[in-house]
Amino acid sequence: MTEGEQAQAPVPAPPPPETETEWLRLDPRMLLVHPVREVLRFLPVIIGLFVAGAATRDGTGRLQLLGILVPVALGLVRYWTTSYRIHADRVELRRGLLSTSTLATPLDRVRTVDLTASPIQRVLGLSTVRIGTGTAARLDDGGLDLDGLPTPRARALRQQLLTSIATPAADPEGTGGERLVARFEPGWLRFAPFTSAGFVIAAGLIGVGSQVLDQVGFFEDVDEAAWEGLWARVGVVAVPVVVLGLGVLVAAFAVLGYLLTNGNFAVSHTLPDGSWHVRRGVLTTRETSLDDDRLRGVSLGEPLGLRLVRGGRLSAIVTGLDRSESGSSALLPPTPRALVQRVAAEVVGTAEPVHARLVDHGPRARARRYVRAMVPAVAVAAVLVTAAAVDGLVWPAVLAAVVVLAALGLGHDRARSLGHALVDGWLVARSGSLTRRRDLLATEAVIGWNLRSTWFQRRAGLVTLVATTAGGRQWVAIPDVPEPVAVEVAVNAVPGLVDQFLATDRGLPAGGTAPVR
Amino acid sequence: MTTLREPSERVDRRAVLMWTLGALGNSVFTYVVLLVVALVWDAVPFRWWAAVLVALAFAVYSVLMPRWRYAVHRWEVTDTAVHTQVGWWSIERRIAPMSRIQTVDYEEGAFARLFGLAAVTVTTASAAGAIAIEGLDKHLARRLVDQLTVRADAVAGDAT
Repeated sequence: MTEGEQAQAPVPAPPPPETETEWLRLDPRMLLVHPVREVLRFLPVIIGLFVAGAATRDGTGRLQLLGILVPVALGLVRYWTTSYRIHADRVELRRGLLSTSTLATPLDRVRTVDLTASPIQRVLGLSTVRIGTGTAARLDDGGLDLDGLPTPRARALRQQLLTSIATPAADPEGTGGERLVARFEPGWLRFAPFTSAGFVIAAGLIGVGSQVLDQVGFFEDVDEAAWEGLWARVGVVAVPVVVLGLGVLVAAFAVLGYLLTNGNFAVSHTLPDGSWHVRRGVLTTRETSLDDDRLRGVSLGEPLGLRLVRGGRLSAIVTGLDRSESGSSALLPPTPRALVQRVAAEVVGTAEPVHARLVDHGPRARARRYVRAMVPAVAVAAVLVTAAAVDGLVWPAVLAAVVVLAALGLGHDRARSLGHALVDGWLVARSGSLTRRRDLLATEAVIGWNLRSTWFQRRAGLVTLVATTAGGRQWVAIPDVPEPVAVEVAVNAVPGLVDQFLATDRGLPAGGTAPVR
Repeated sequence: MTTLREPSERVDRRAVLMWTLGALGNSVFTYVVLLVVALVWDAVPFRWWAAVLVALAFAVYSVLMPRWRYAVHRWEVTDTAVHTQVGWWSIERRIAPMSRIQTVDYEEGAFARLFGLAAVTVTTASAAGAIAIEGLDKHLARRLVDQLTVRADAVAGDAT
């Protein structure tokens, strides 16, 4: 492949505006940031030292001093040993005191540029530049991160990196510049309680809280008789109150979390370099730039909770983004569905695939959705009903009915969600219920097809069609398509690939040259 | 009715023996572990007929699965694409265009070498796109790797 890649490398790359060739240091103001960060990182050790110091009654406090000084020194060393330069169409980052490492990457391999600023950095007017090259093997210590440049310089650097990679996009007005597509509105906050974020935060807090209570010995002191007395007095009334209280708490956390991460949100498109910019964050700000050339599609997230309030979210399918960094491909947080659809249409350049009617997969696919949702539920229900019959209790039977009804609803929604379409050079796939998604993938971005079928699927004449791609989650799956339909989609989406493997009427192999023999 | 035909080539016949011995080895190991657990752990009462039933299930699996798998496993390489079909209970067919191939791997595992077999893995830029052809005669696999490398090289582009 090396030959192919070399042939691909654009040799007459436009020279960057200012080719910096000396090794540059990060901003001196990082001298204030690094030590604080190191102290925070060593906090558990430092606390341990302080506790140990107190326990041994060592009045001198030497240990504690060491605990502070070592991290501070580490922070200073980190500053003095890190430098970077842009030289001969490469970004190079050199760091390390004892074992020096130099990380270099060609400019035309730069795919994304991320700017983040923690609260300390913002006070000082600094930003961290993260250069994404899309390698799977990123170094553990952060890859190509220029940690701490003055924000204007960071922006200029990003501009330089993105301009050097992007082919100038069409610029109808010839004006260039930035076009704002959407920005944060307070009304978006109403979607926060319908995401899972609140639950995650609340669960974390409850977990930590119970740990602390347990450490203090709270649970051992609880008198069971007192509990029973309390239960007798408040009884059934307390349950809805507690549930409601928890609900309010979870919602409050969700709104707060949403505000902190997505406040100041703005998504814009710039010309002539042709890239999308997403800015967000109240305390830690984050700016992500996605190059148009790397954009392969979008994914419209329609989880059940958001669908109930006519909301959705949008993320981009981009090549060269680390899969673990999926957060940086987000284009819109939970927002009104109309906005999600409008921005999706702008990103893919056509509204057709966003609103296209999806092809139904037929009764057998629908039945399979129901069966797969119902079988585990029925199994659980059977156990519960048995328990109810044996112990003569009512509530397990009620619970069983609830479980079965919920599964029925889930199956219905999953069956309704299933669908796909091929419109205007875009493959559209939708499936799921609690986490329903509508994926739009450019057919040029399809780099292979997988057709999976279990024995059950084959009996129903269905397959799961998977389009593999280099971006996003690396594939787009269309579950339970009737096989002929799946093959037709594959044939029509990428001409000339699957045709040669089609079964002819006589059942003879069609086309294809003889392989190695 | 538009359907895919099966890839034209079968894997080497020796693969059946390899899979059978592999499955037998795994089965015997799992069976011994289960047996020891059943004998040592009081919570599970040991029943001789259960032991026989489980042994029978493992035996049937070891004999049936490799033959089923051999019937399914097929591959084909054309000028423009690689097409494979693997699996037994769950079958997966993969088609990757030659122009999107990134690496071609030849692997001769310690166990496979006993049978003179090798595996060829073709990767693309997608984590879901890797195509593996197991149980090929090792000389054939070598030639296949050379051929694939040449053909993939002939197409320009970064394969994403």
